[in-house]
Amino acid sequence: MKILVPLKRVSDPDNANKIKVGAGKVETTGLEWKPNPFDEYAVETALRLTENGTNAKARLGEVTVVTFGPKETETTLRAALATGADKAIRVDTTDDAIDGDLLARALKALVEREKPDLVLLGKQQVDGDANQVAQLLAEYLGWPQATFAGQITSEADKALLVSREVDGGSIKLRVTLPAVVSVDLRIVNAVGVTSMHTPPTHKYSDGVRFAALMAIMAAKKKSLTEVKLTDLSPDTALKIKYTGFDLPPARKAGVKIKTVAELVQKLKTEAKVL
Amino acid sequence: MHGPSFMKSLFHGVVAEGTIFPYPEPTQSEGDNLHIMMDSVRKFFAANVDSRKIDRDAVLPDDVLRGLKELGLFGLVVPQEYGGVGLSATGYARLIEEVATLDASVAVTLGGHQSIGLKALLLFGTDEQKKKYLPRLATGEHVAAFALTEPGAGSDAAAIQTRAEETPEGDYLLNGSKIWITNGGLADVLTVFARTSSIEEGMKPRITAFLVERAWGVKSGPNEHKLGIRGSSTTEVSFDNVRVPKENVLGEVGRGFKVAMEVLNSGRLGLASGCVGSCKRLIKMAVERCHERKAFGRPIGEFGLIKDKIASMIAECFALESMTYLTTGLVDAKIEDYSIESAICKVYGSEALWRTVNDALQIAAGIGYMQEYPYERLLRDARINLIFEGTNEILRCFIALSGMQGPGKELVEVAKAIREPIKGFGLLSDFAIRKARSALGRERMTRAHPALSRESVILEQYAGDLARSVDKVMRKHGNQIHEMQFTQRRIADMAIDLYAVAACVARTTRAIERRGEEGARREIDLTSVVAAAAEERMKQIAQSFDRNDDELRKAIASKSYADGGYPFDIL
Repeated sequence: MKILVPLKRVSDPDNANKIKVGAGKVETTGLEWKPNPFDEYAVETALRLTENGTNAKARLGEVTVVTFGPKETETTLRAALATGADKAIRVDTTDDAIDGDLLARALKALVEREKPDLVLLGKQQVDGDANQVAQLLAEYLGWPQATFAGQITSEADKALLVSREVDGGSIKLRVTLPAVVSVDLRIVNAVGVTSMHTPPTHKYSDGVRFAALMAIMAAKKKSLTEVKLTDLSPDTALKIKYTGFDLPPARKAGVKIKTVAELVQKLKTEAKVL
Repeated sequence: MHGPSFMKSLFHGVVAEGTIFPYPEPTQSEGDNLHIMMDSVRKFFAANVDSRKIDRDAVLPDDVLRGLKELGLFGLVVPQEYGGVGLSATGYARLIEEVATLDASVAVTLGGHQSIGLKALLLFGTDEQKKKYLPRLATGEHVAAFALTEPGAGSDAAAIQTRAEETPEGDYLLNGSKIWITNGGLADVLTVFARTSSIEEGMKPRITAFLVERAWGVKSGPNEHKLGIRGSSTTEVSFDNVRVPKENVLGEVGRGFKVAMEVLNSGRLGLASGCVGSCKRLIKMAVERCHERKAFGRPIGEFGLIKDKIASMIAECFALESMTYLTTGLVDAKIEDYSIESAICKVYGSEALWRTVNDALQIAAGIGYMQEYPYERLLRDARINLIFEGTNEILRCFIALSGMQGPGKELVEVAKAIREPIKGFGLLSDFAIRKARSALGRERMTRAHPALSRESVILEQYAGDLARSVDKVMRKHGNQIHEMQFTQRRIADMAIDLYAVAACVARTTRAIERRGEEGARREIDLTSVVAAAAEERMKQIAQSFDRNDDELRKAIASKSYADGGYPFDIL
């Protein structure tokens, strides 16, 4: 199976307090970058679908990772190559020159070029949290889609049985390949992915794999190509226009309340919820 | 890069700017790789390493060790052609920094393996030796250890009693024992130093380095119960007629001193970068505490005495980091002699960490003393750094005497001088002459950014003071200088401060060139604080060469030895 995984670096959510809002944009200098966690889950899922878990070194499919960003974002691709992805593509652009819709249109062109059987994405980016690329891409391609996958079973690599996490439980969808699937946290549980290559007795460890240091050096030899955004989508017009950025207002200090009566009073007069 | 070391030049009053400017940095590609590697390392530790349990149980669990090996952490310095990661000195130091941030026992285990354990093989091994041993050492299938110290021989390597007797076939029979060997209980391959000449008095001690497999009959004792780094294995290692083939001599027969010193010179840099990592972790903990803990209705971070501690921690960490990575950069630029620089990094690093952990615990106050919190463990873990790989006392003597002896001299000569007062310092008079030549006018710093002119002047002025002080004490004491440890310490302390200032100035100059004065404001401020504190100390030291109570203090100590302790009581 050939799988395409779009991924993106995001500013380290643990250092969110460092984010500054400059003149009409988010100040990115000095931020620390991390791969978007949901994208890491997508890479892990793709690797599990294209290997025998008992002998992960032998690749039984092809995983291509793609990111949209400047030269520095190649580190994110190299990290994915080090964990096992087979090749990488960087589409040269910057964060403020793209939005979800343009990304979906460019990915459509890339899918037509690379011809994967499956596009696996993180359900959303933890910076913008838009949660729209997978859905738009499936629509533009005319492919079936299954979002928020918590469990995937490959049926002979012809179709996927996807357990989707929804409010109050999960529902199962069978999608015929080629398809677009976005993944949620639970997909990287020990039993999140069942593939035809791995014996059902094999248990993965929970979470994503991390690259051995030798593999990080060896990943330098894997293919990493650069593509111009305009080669994929000559129309680079954005549908989202930002008019301004503000930090959320600082939280006001709380007050201590002595009696229930006082609490009820305040809920009525100040919070106005009663 | 050829030429004398920066510090050895400085002892002659010469500021060898070309050596430290521009401040070195890893290549973009290695920097990117390190980011990815450190991310892997952090993920592994978060999922697998429980430092509190490791400290309590005093052992690294098997699955942790196996995980560390699979991750590749045992092959950091082994070249890729032998299956290792092949990091530069800077890359290695940075990764060890990261590991030390996470767990000191693991950092020491990794350091015992590759900072020193397999380093002699890397530096002095033949192609055959490397081909045979490095691949399995790189994967951690084999663990390495460095076995130099003996009950009667620490830094005084000439006193080594372990013997290697040549057999008629040309092999060697090893007999003797080593103590406090890091990884002693884990090691499959040991670098062992043994005497290859008669033990009789008067014979010149000839020490040889051997690569010895445990399988040949090496015995190790139980793990020692230690104050800190309790998860690392420290044992006695003994040899009872262990037969070592002649192919396993490392370097030349009789040149084992050189092997040991080269290994330790480089090993001290890994120790120093580990101290950087521990300092950074403690600073983070202390800063969090400053926000959280309230006293008198305010976060304690708002109080002046707390701010003063935090500022010192940050400034010392900045100085240590600047010195350590300047030195690893010099190693990567293939400078030949960095022995004084690496000794300075070790001494400054271990002491800066000790002050930092002490202050962090003090800021945490009550909870800092409790076992529920990590401060006490970090304090215990930090303590060893002042002791191993050469105590800070012997290293101060080394820094001073080696600097005074001029280029090319190693600790071995210094040790020899301490043992053999008469013969030791033939080169000293030579030094005095060369010094006299450069006595007129001081050398200048021309490549430092003008925003750092005050700091550069401090460096120039005290570099001159150091050279003049050295000249003066050499004229006054001559060959007796080896006995003058108070004086050696003054010289070493000046040298340490001067290297700190030089490294900060070089690094901050690079930062200003990149980001402008405003962009590099924090580095400029830190350099200013580092230099001011150094100036304060050096001013005092410079005066105390002539005005001191050294003799009085020695007399008090001698009398106490005779008394057997403290002689007074109020009753």
